[in-house]
Amino acid sequence: MKFLKNILGGVEKKFFAKGKVFAPFHPVFDAIDTFLYTPGERTAGTCHVRDCNDFKRMMITVMYALIPCIVMGMYNVGLQANRLMELNGIEQASGWHGAILNWLNAYFPMLNLFGASVWNIIGCTLHGAVYFIPLYLVSFFVGIAWEALFSMIHHEQIHEGFFVTGLIFPLTLPPSTPLWQVAIAISFGVVIGKEIFGGTGRNFLNPALVARAFLFFAYAGQISGDKVWTTVDGVSKATPLAIATNPSFTEGGVAGLQKAGYGMFDCFIGTIPGSFGETSTLACLIGMVFLLFVGVASWRIVVSAFVGGMGLATFFWLLGSNTNAAFALGPFWHVVMGGFAFGMIFMASDPVTAALTKPGQYIYGLLIGALVIVIRVLNPAYPEGTMLVILFGNCCAPLIDWFVVQANIKRRLRRTAESTLN
Amino acid sequence: MEKDSIFKTFAVALGVCVVCAIIVSVAATVLKPLQEKNKLLDKQTNVLRAAGLVDMKASVSAAEVAELFKKISPVVVDLATGDIVKDAKPAQIEADESNTVAIPANDDVAGIKSRPKQVVVYVVKDASGKPETIVLPVYGRGLWSTMKGFFGIKGDLQTVKNLTFYDHGETPGLGGEISNPVWVHHWNDKKALDERGNPVITIIKGNVDPTSPQADSQVDGISGATLTCRGVNHTMQYWLGDSGFGKYIKNLKEGK
Amino acid sequence: MDSKLKKILLEPIFNNNPVVIQVLGICSALAVTTRLQTAVTMCLAVTFVTALSNVGVSLVRKIIPGSIRMIVEMTIIAALVIMVDQFIKAFSYNLSKELSVFVGLIITNCIVMGRTEAFAIKNNVVESAIDGLGNGLGYSVLLLVVAFVRELFGFGTLFGYTVLSTVNQGGWYVPNGLLVLSPGAFFLIGFFIWGLKTWKSNLITDE
Repeated sequence: MKFLKNILGGVEKKFFAKGKVFAPFHPVFDAIDTFLYTPGERTAGTCHVRDCNDFKRMMITVMYALIPCIVMGMYNVGLQANRLMELNGIEQASGWHGAILNWLNAYFPMLNLFGASVWNIIGCTLHGAVYFIPLYLVSFFVGIAWEALFSMIHHEQIHEGFFVTGLIFPLTLPPSTPLWQVAIAISFGVVIGKEIFGGTGRNFLNPALVARAFLFFAYAGQISGDKVWTTVDGVSKATPLAIATNPSFTEGGVAGLQKAGYGMFDCFIGTIPGSFGETSTLACLIGMVFLLFVGVASWRIVVSAFVGGMGLATFFWLLGSNTNAAFALGPFWHVVMGGFAFGMIFMASDPVTAALTKPGQYIYGLLIGALVIVIRVLNPAYPEGTMLVILFGNCCAPLIDWFVVQANIKRRLRRTAESTLN
Repeated sequence: MEKDSIFKTFAVALGVCVVCAIIVSVAATVLKPLQEKNKLLDKQTNVLRAAGLVDMKASVSAAEVAELFKKISPVVVDLATGDIVKDAKPAQIEADESNTVAIPANDDVAGIKSRPKQVVVYVVKDASGKPETIVLPVYGRGLWSTMKGFFGIKGDLQTVKNLTFYDHGETPGLGGEISNPVWVHHWNDKKALDERGNPVITIIKGNVDPTSPQADSQVDGISGATLTCRGVNHTMQYWLGDSGFGKYIKNLKEGK
Repeated sequence: MDSKLKKILLEPIFNNNPVVIQVLGICSALAVTTRLQTAVTMCLAVTFVTALSNVGVSLVRKIIPGSIRMIVEMTIIAALVIMVDQFIKAFSYNLSKELSVFVGLIITNCIVMGRTEAFAIKNNVVESAIDGLGNGLGYSVLLLVVAFVRELFGFGTLFGYTVLSTVNQGGWYVPNGLLVLSPGAFFLIGFFIWGLKTWKSNLITDE
């Protein structure tokens, strides 16, 4: 291992050091170097925290936590596709993804890529991987290119925040998203959502969600409706959430879900149509346990978001309604459907864009959790509100923090006043 | 005299007002006839589009519209009875403020709260004087806005000739597609009403299955615009139903 | 043209652009720039109103009493705007339908009032006219750039003629819906300001 380190050191001195040929590209070199080894630089001042857990390690921890979601997402996309292909008697997958799949299936029949059984875990996961990996690669490389460009302009290091952004963003997408749209959206997310505010740590919006919001408004046809959640061409299948929030009283709600054949257990495990990462609540919860255990995500935010969301859902459930079937969904359906769990666990708790003060984090979590339910139940135009609500929460976070700090200052002033009086 | 004296202030204010008032009123009076003509022309073009006499996208000159509009006779219909009001003047009906009646909430499927008592419909007659196309003004609540349009129905009183929404504020690219000729094309030659004159046409989710027995009266939905499509469905239901033009259509059927 | 007038005319187009540098007149820049045709009409209308209201105010600048100064300016502007609105309604009905209230709202466009108050009230008629023209053109430059991008990428057309044939019409181009919405114009104006300030770095003001 020393050997590699020596090579890197030599390369740095020869090409990337100040005044050398590739000096402007030093951030790129630095990113690779620190990915492999702990940075050599130390804080110059007297104040020095010794901790192996730097920003890069923290982000990599989040990536570990996402693994269950990735695997379940790929498995489920494959499973959904295979089920629909079986149902409609389709034997060959379509498009260029399909070409790869058909080729693989012809040469490696033992993988059973098109087997529609729930237990065909390898086949389904590989089938889904053919759709997920290109999305991820495009998202990662286009995003990191912008990141590198801005780092070079600002003469800064490449920040690792993007590793998570580049991974979360494709997880929020439907499997049929065209790659060029991913490229445009992640460019928008990284540049508008982060770089123009000064890069990682200075962004007030979650860049992955900015990218998704861009897609949502710019190419609404490819990210909403019933056709986009499956990879099978021309076949549509509504997500449970779209059914449950159907404005028609008889078609929507629990009755609608039953009619469509969606059980709560399917939704919890994640064998339902939807975006890659959001379908499996189980996988999200595994990720959550890991994140909370290692202390990377704030438990205050995650817990209060669930309390807010489930609390309001219970309130609507108790209130009941004769015209809106979504009232009767109750807290558990809301958690297992749509992007609620994924958003609350992996996006609302993003340390950069969330509230920082402890009381602020409770307020922030409650606000986000409750608003998601409000949009789902009361706004017929948007079945899913998680994305927009978290962005809204991001905008409010500094204000919440400000009020908390002001309140704290006032309390302390009063306390000092009292103690001097005594 | 002082610039800021009271007299001077009033004099300047008066002077400016008079000059501006003259400019504005001259412009308004001189241009009024032209504006009225434009308004009429716009409306007539939309009627002609719904009647299928003018292509959806084509722009037509005033002379052409005037020529084509000769084929069309505006008729005033009383919606409550479905009878034609002989002596009413179409231009006056539309300007008359008292010509509205509130719609009871349980009947208000289109979400429009009130409707005119008497409505102008446009009838295109063929050479023998029989109605070839009837253009009905329709409007209803979409997702964001009130969608205003003209609905052209063929002489058999069942088949759709054309549908144009000339004024709406639906989401561009999703609900806004209701005014896209490509989508409107799906309506052509569909059955809007059954033999008895009840509205049957519906926009469904997804594409129409041509083998379905109802395929004749179903229209492809716009993906991602469920609520706008619902609004259009309700608009059609209301205006083709008995509270809308239903009675008029049934009267025509019976040869009245 | 002597150099002073030239400076008055050209300064507001780039160096002191009313929308980009002073961030005035944003609301109409968002509303009317979905299509080039409406944007061009709006540009002509605003340029006409700024130039003539400057002339009008400059003509009476020596006799306007201070107490009713702004009301007089407003009256002159309002009269001009109503006139423009009437003309558009008479000669281009479809455009007037698309522009709807936004022609009328030129009255409240800060550029117009701002120029009469900042310039015409203390300068002679010729200079005021040129200043109004320059500011109108400055507004127009931005409007046209924004409208060009929005119409081309939002609808695939330019002046209504198909350039990129869209998927809905059976072509290949997937139009960008964000550009059609008002926030799309916000982003474009932001990019425009970013670009202009990168190009002319002397415009960056220290806070």
